[in-house]
Amino acid sequence: MAETLLKIDNLKKSFGKLEVLKGLSTEIRKGEVVVMIGPSGSGKSTFLRCMNLLEQPTDGSIVFDNIDIVSADEKTRNSVRSEMGMVFQHFNLFPHLTILDNITLAPRLVRHMPKAEAEKKAHELLKRVGLDDKALAYPQQLSGGQKQRVAIVRSLAMEPKVMLFDEPTSALDPEMVGEVLDVMKDLAHNGMTMVVVTHEMRFARDVATRVLFLEGGSIIAEGTPAEIFDQPHEGRLGEFLGKVRGDDRAEASVEKVILKAAQDGKVTVAELEEILNSIRK
Amino acid sequence: MAFWDMILDLLQGLAVSVEIFVFTLLIALPLGFVIALGRMSKNPLVSGLFRIYVSIVRGTPLMLQIMFVYFAPYVLFGMSLALYPRLLATVLAFSLNYAAYFAEIYRGGILSIERGQHEAAAALGLTKGQTFFRIVLPQVVKRVIPAVGNEVITLVKDTSLAFTIAVTEMFTIAKQLSSANTTMTPLIAAGVFYYVFNYLVARTMEGAEKKLGYYD
Repeated sequence: MAETLLKIDNLKKSFGKLEVLKGLSTEIRKGEVVVMIGPSGSGKSTFLRCMNLLEQPTDGSIVFDNIDIVSADEKTRNSVRSEMGMVFQHFNLFPHLTILDNITLAPRLVRHMPKAEAEKKAHELLKRVGLDDKALAYPQQLSGGQKQRVAIVRSLAMEPKVMLFDEPTSALDPEMVGEVLDVMKDLAHNGMTMVVVTHEMRFARDVATRVLFLEGGSIIAEGTPAEIFDQPHEGRLGEFLGKVRGDDRAEASVEKVILKAAQDGKVTVAELEEILNSIRK
Repeated sequence: MAFWDMILDLLQGLAVSVEIFVFTLLIALPLGFVIALGRMSKNPLVSGLFRIYVSIVRGTPLMLQIMFVYFAPYVLFGMSLALYPRLLATVLAFSLNYAAYFAEIYRGGILSIERGQHEAAAALGLTKGQTFFRIVLPQVVKRVIPAVGNEVITLVKDTSLAFTIAVTEMFTIAKQLSSANTTMTPLIAAGVFYYVFNYLVARTMEGAEKKLGYYD
């Protein structure tokens, strides 16, 4: 079995009186792609944000490189964070810096890499995601999908041991989701250790090595994509998957009508009603 | 009195006004930064003190503050005013006053930077200092320029308040000339000078804004 990168034990997090994480334990091993799914408010984003200490856990331990980072000092935290990449829902690129500077800033400041070397590497990474022609542009000039690909590259430039993705496609227009997922798939195939919070069930099924289902601040179910998605489940997980599949079905029927309308040049009212009814169900 | 003599007198006054303006900015712009940081300190005692400071400065007339700064050493400690230049007192009072306003503008600018910027920087391993100087500050400067510009333009006009302690800046001279010769001309001429001064300041601020607009 591959070496353990992150060992999380009995992790708890409260915001005031609200307990968001109720003692979560798991291990992230090298090369794993762990996808966390679950309804909104289940604590999956908070869990992810605890892993690189963007949120300070209330209790429990996170061992990374043989150090319990939960109680580490500021200097250790910064160095631990530099070993973990993080991709945010809203990209969080630095608007005042060019794409190239966005990418080279941390390697130069944190790793003290010479400018020429950092830029050479940035160009290589940008080529990999097909955006080298945007190196001198500012984030404002990019589409959402392009921004997110740059954000991924910015993290990769630090050569992280693990990449954390916090709903990386949730803020994107539908037509841009694919280009970002493709980059993530490519990373996964190249052996990057990844922890991903997402609502993209197809991505979870195709790319994950392990799926965690969170609900109410606890890990309710855990398994391979086949175990989670292809077997019937009782209780919360079954309900959640049912809802997700329902959405998929509704989406499929809408797609059918639109296709038909495109072919015929018209859709009847009865047909539209039928579709709306099936969505309501 | 010849027209050009009057203009010459006013120009001498204008030089003093410009002096007040320049020295006040040189002190107040950085001092405001220190006050903003103090105001945002996590130590409640420090932030409380700066809060009171800002509150008093904003809540009392600048004219009164100028008089206070000038007369306080004498009233409180019996120091002789002979060794205390009026111009120094004026610049001090203006600096303390404008720094408070600049501080509030800076503070607003710093707080307006999205949390995501701090988080992205932290996630990359940047220290708090690096995050502040490389990520937050450059964006703050751009955001506060219009508000700072407003204050700077107000400052040009406020320099006239130095007449309170008889500093011979442009407005003081205009008033003297006006009453000595029973004519409005010096006041109108001073108004024109203030306007031209501010026109130049406004153009400079616009230029700065344009230069900082590189990323949108």
